[in-house]
Amino acid sequence: MKYVSEFRNADLARAVSAEIASTVDPNRHYKLMEVCGGHTHTIYRHGIKDLLPDQIELVHGPGCPVCVLPMGRVDEGISIAEKPEVIFTCFGDMMRVPGSKGNLLEVKAEGADIRMVYSPLDALRIARENPDREVVFYAIGFETTAPSTALTLQRAKKEGIENFSVFCNHVTIVPPVRALLDSPDLRLDGFIGPGHVSTVIGCRPYEFMPMDYGKPCVVAGFEPLDLLQSALMLIRQIDEGRCEVENQYGRAVPWEGNLQALTAMSEVFELRPYFEWRGLGFIAQSALKLSPEYAAFDSELRYSTPGVRVADPKACQCGEVLKGVLKPHECRVFGTSCTPEKPLGALMVSSEGACAAYFNFGRRAEERVEIGSKK
Amino acid sequence: MERELSTISGACTFEHDGCITCSDAGIPAKVISLSGDDALCEDEAGERAEIAIELVAPVEIGEILITHGGVAIGRVTKNEADKLKADG
Repeated sequence: MKYVSEFRNADLARAVSAEIASTVDPNRHYKLMEVCGGHTHTIYRHGIKDLLPDQIELVHGPGCPVCVLPMGRVDEGISIAEKPEVIFTCFGDMMRVPGSKGNLLEVKAEGADIRMVYSPLDALRIARENPDREVVFYAIGFETTAPSTALTLQRAKKEGIENFSVFCNHVTIVPPVRALLDSPDLRLDGFIGPGHVSTVIGCRPYEFMPMDYGKPCVVAGFEPLDLLQSALMLIRQIDEGRCEVENQYGRAVPWEGNLQALTAMSEVFELRPYFEWRGLGFIAQSALKLSPEYAAFDSELRYSTPGVRVADPKACQCGEVLKGVLKPHECRVFGTSCTPEKPLGALMVSSEGACAAYFNFGRRAEERVEIGSKK
Repeated sequence: MERELSTISGACTFEHDGCITCSDAGIPAKVISLSGDDALCEDEAGERAEIAIELVAPVEIGEILITHGGVAIGRVTKNEADKLKADG
């Protein structure tokens, strides 16, 4: 596909890799965070790590919405799904995210009507087809996904569909990144910014990184060459003493974002005063809820969800991995009592969760290093 | 689907986009035909799906859209800044 396949050219990737190797200062260490779970997935899937010199360390960020969802919100979703009148719809990965007493798949096996959908528009279609049932969509995701939910709710309102509601767990990307930058645990040299979130919000929201924290940010695409090129752009900024927001993914990211999508979001959503993030705690204005104009579609109001808080399992170190303090394989239960087949923490569930990506693609590389170091 | 994917390195498609709930994995898809607020789009593996296009309208046949959850959230355009050069 035009503008896509060119960015997987192996010869060019080798050339950019060589350019990075000759650009890095051999006497320093570069700690770069890829904010987005999609980037984590690409890095492992394509072996990007092996194309970077040892001086560059990639740290995985909080950009997987399944992974940052606190267990209490999973439990509340399950409590809605268990209601006999409800058809509960959600994206595939949500089905296996563990709550305190099980996951949605287990509740489904016990008889709840839970259906996997690829789009919130599919959930709306189910509502149209089942006027005698209540259809709930478990909305989750950053600004990439929020426009889809907004558009779906606009269509529901326009069509006057009353048996449809949304359990809104949409979150925003800037507040958790700011929380990470405020954290004393982590020292970062720069950020690889999320490409498709930026398709919606543009590049301007990242200007606080250089302005307030002195950290460069390069918004990057999702093909292997995109990531290599963005790493090179960051290294150049750091070495040249520049500190700014750059857009590597100009072919899909307008600097101002998608104004139509932002307008739809501002009509349908408003910011929550605060929201709990797994591993990061409560962060102010970091999540979305339905605006008063769309209150009739709000599952939280329709089912009076109590807002429970549930602590993570003690053995689980998702929080430290989310903050980039621990690498996935350094978690005490990684690959033993926590695997993709039987996940203990959410990071092992989603294929874009850092732990699942490590388990599926990166583990052998770590073993190679460990074996090599034992010689 | 695995068979088709095996020929497309790193394909992000309607059937296999890495992770549907991802914050950030849009799927590039080409517009085949238009019908009101929807467009029939084709991903890199040749799979087709109806995509809502209100958020990127107007849309032309042949354009490549960034889609997520059945909704187009952006478009891919030629950008000189993206020119691939070994020197970055």
